Amino acid sequence: MTSKIMKSILSVAIAVLMASLTIITGILYPYFGSVQESQLKDELSLAASATQQLGKGYLEKLNADRYRLTWVNADGTVIYDSHVDAATMENHADREEIREALASGTGSSTRQSSTLTEQTIYEATRLNDGSVLRVSVSRATVLVLVLGMLRPIAIVLVIAIVLSAWLAHRMAKTIVAPLNNLNLDNPMENEAYEELSPLLHRIHAQHLEIKSQLRTLQHKQNEFEQITGNMKEALVLLDSTGRILSINPAARTLFGAGITCIGEDFLTIDRKQNMRLALQTAREQGSADFRARENGREYQFDLSRIDSDGNHHGMVILAFDITEQVNAEKNRQEFTANVSHELKTPLQSIIGSAELMENGIVKAEDAPRFVGRIRKEASRLVTLIDDIIRLSQLDDGTDMPHEEVSLKVLSEEVCETLADAAKLKDVSLEVTGDDGVINGVRRLLYEIVYNLCDNAIKYNNPGGSVKVTVAQKSGEVLLSVQDTGIGISPEHQEKVFERFYRVDKSHSRQSGGTGLGLSIVKHAVQYHHGKITLESEENKRTIFSVIFSTRA
Amino acid sequence: MRNRFEQQLFELNREIIEMGALCEEAIEAAAKALIDGDVILAETVKENGSAIDQMERDIESRCMKLLLHQQPVAKDLRLISAALKIITDMERIGDQAEDIAEIVAFLNGHNMDGMKLITEMAGETTRMVTSSVDAFVKKDVELARNVIARDDIVDTYFSKVKRGIITWIAENPEDGEFALDLLMISKYFERIGDHATNIAEWVIYSVTGIHKEV
Repeated sequence: MTSKIMKSILSVAIAVLMASLTIITGILYPYFGSVQESQLKDELSLAASATQQLGKGYLEKLNADRYRLTWVNADGTVIYDSHVDAATMENHADREEIREALASGTGSSTRQSSTLTEQTIYEATRLNDGSVLRVSVSRATVLVLVLGMLRPIAIVLVIAIVLSAWLAHRMAKTIVAPLNNLNLDNPMENEAYEELSPLLHRIHAQHLEIKSQLRTLQHKQNEFEQITGNMKEALVLLDSTGRILSINPAARTLFGAGITCIGEDFLTIDRKQNMRLALQTAREQGSADFRARENGREYQFDLSRIDSDGNHHGMVILAFDITEQVNAEKNRQEFTANVSHELKTPLQSIIGSAELMENGIVKAEDAPRFVGRIRKEASRLVTLIDDIIRLSQLDDGTDMPHEEVSLKVLSEEVCETLADAAKLKDVSLEVTGDDGVINGVRRLLYEIVYNLCDNAIKYNNPGGSVKVTVAQKSGEVLLSVQDTGIGISPEHQEKVFERFYRVDKSHSRQSGGTGLGLSIVKHAVQYHHGKITLESEENKRTIFSVIFSTRA
Repeated sequence: MRNRFEQQLFELNREIIEMGALCEEAIEAAAKALIDGDVILAETVKENGSAIDQMERDIESRCMKLLLHQQPVAKDLRLISAALKIITDMERIGDQAEDIAEIVAFLNGHNMDGMKLITEMAGETTRMVTSSVDAFVKKDVELARNVIARDDIVDTYFSKVKRGIITWIAENPEDGEFALDLLMISKYFERIGDHATNIAEWVIYSVTGIHKEV
């Protein structure tokens, strides 16, 4: 700013200086020239009349320093010259002023000296005798005059530069001061130059725009964080170089990373081989996925590259917990394997017996025993298939008719059915407690009580007892089946509800169980949104408690 | 220019992490191969070893280029010089994992009473390597100090294993060769522990500028 102002001031100063110099010289030089010329003419007429009267003697007496006097004969020969010896001078007849004087009486001319530094003015007049008297004077040319003025001009210029620099500095300071003091945060509150107001208005408008855009951005960011923050799935966004752009809380827990990991290389939080390979695959092919165990749970990792306009912009890593799914898959596979096995065992027995009879190996008196075995195994098969069908019905979750059922009445019915079996094992059966009316599927509730009581009798000791208690509390009905049997050891307690699980495999075969009873109970209880718990002490007792809610 | 330098440092860091991960996998596989007597797994350790060697060369030349072209100072210089030292130790870990795998291939599932001790030692060494790489990744001085302290545990294991092997040879002279192989393996594990300690020391140096031996 200062230098700009200084330049303009300086250029104005120089221009003014030059212009005035030119004008002054242009006016004064011709003026002084004409003054000199008329002086010269006066001098010449004086000298001419004196020469006419006194001749050469006057000229020689005349001490002319300022003028040069030359007397030329009519034929051009120089008679006298005040500065140079006349004898050495050439004929002057061809000089312009002499020729003019010879012709018309007076003549004048101006000639530049060879060096251009001087100008000589000649005035000539014809005397009465036909000779010509010439007077001449030299004066400096304009160029010499200007050259002579160079020093003062230079001094003036230096003064101008210094002055303009100082002035420019001061001016810049005063001009800039209000600009420097502008409050750009609140542009509308400034009282600066009027010329600035469009600029300030613009800044104000842009301020508002930026603020609103920031707000929108912040809002969007919050929205994104809210969504990803509450996601159960782990989500990580990477930029094109593999740095973490965003990581949600679920992912931070999964990878065990802190908040500071944003902006770091993703490898700093997970450098496992399968992840590195998947990252590479995703970078090259666009997507990759793999499964891995992390923190004791099974996760499915999906990676996909973010492309737009043919450029890679980064990567999304999404991980979700598939433990349940994997377990369910495993359960299904196990169930299928178990079912096949369980179905095959009685069939093998049937086939074996039938083959023996077919080949006539069986004696006639043994035949009823073999037929009996075939019948027993076949009916076992039917029980098994019945159980499986019931289970799969429960799995399907199909709607079954609900009705008001009294658990006590139901338990009494069950006990009647099982009375023979109980008598056979020498076990006493007893039902006590409230009515315990709940709204449920009668068939399933029967199944629950039947299976629990059946087990209580089967795994009881001779002389033992089975107590069925129904208790009604506010909003709940509690059904408990307590026996005095062999009990279930703690390591088996968790697993007894699994399909085909048997505490003692060899024993259960004798007792004729399918290994599905408690599994059916569990599902039936779940169907009624109830809860089943198990309490047991080995060789003392087992208590199964089922809690049903009577609230809808 | 600086930006490019930052990017190069970032890539250097990533490559070291990758190399560290490869080392972890190598020693994990070697330990697993030893414990399970898995000869096929032992083969994969070898492939891993050549990958580690290649990475060492790559990282070395990258470090040299950075030193020459960028003339780093202070923390950056420490990171690069520490990187040069760390990759040497990592390469040694890879080599020794390979050596272990090679011996495992000869063991043919042979077994002895002291196996349990060696298994524990392998586990501890593997964890040490993982922690040392973790310390580098997170630039965690505390964890690095912890790794250095754990070297004593591995050393104690080594002397225990050694004593066990002496008794074993005295009782079963016919199994002498096998016992010596096991001694070699435990020595390799002990060396790997030392290399993990070195890495941890260089991590401390790159963060604080102080190296134990300098």
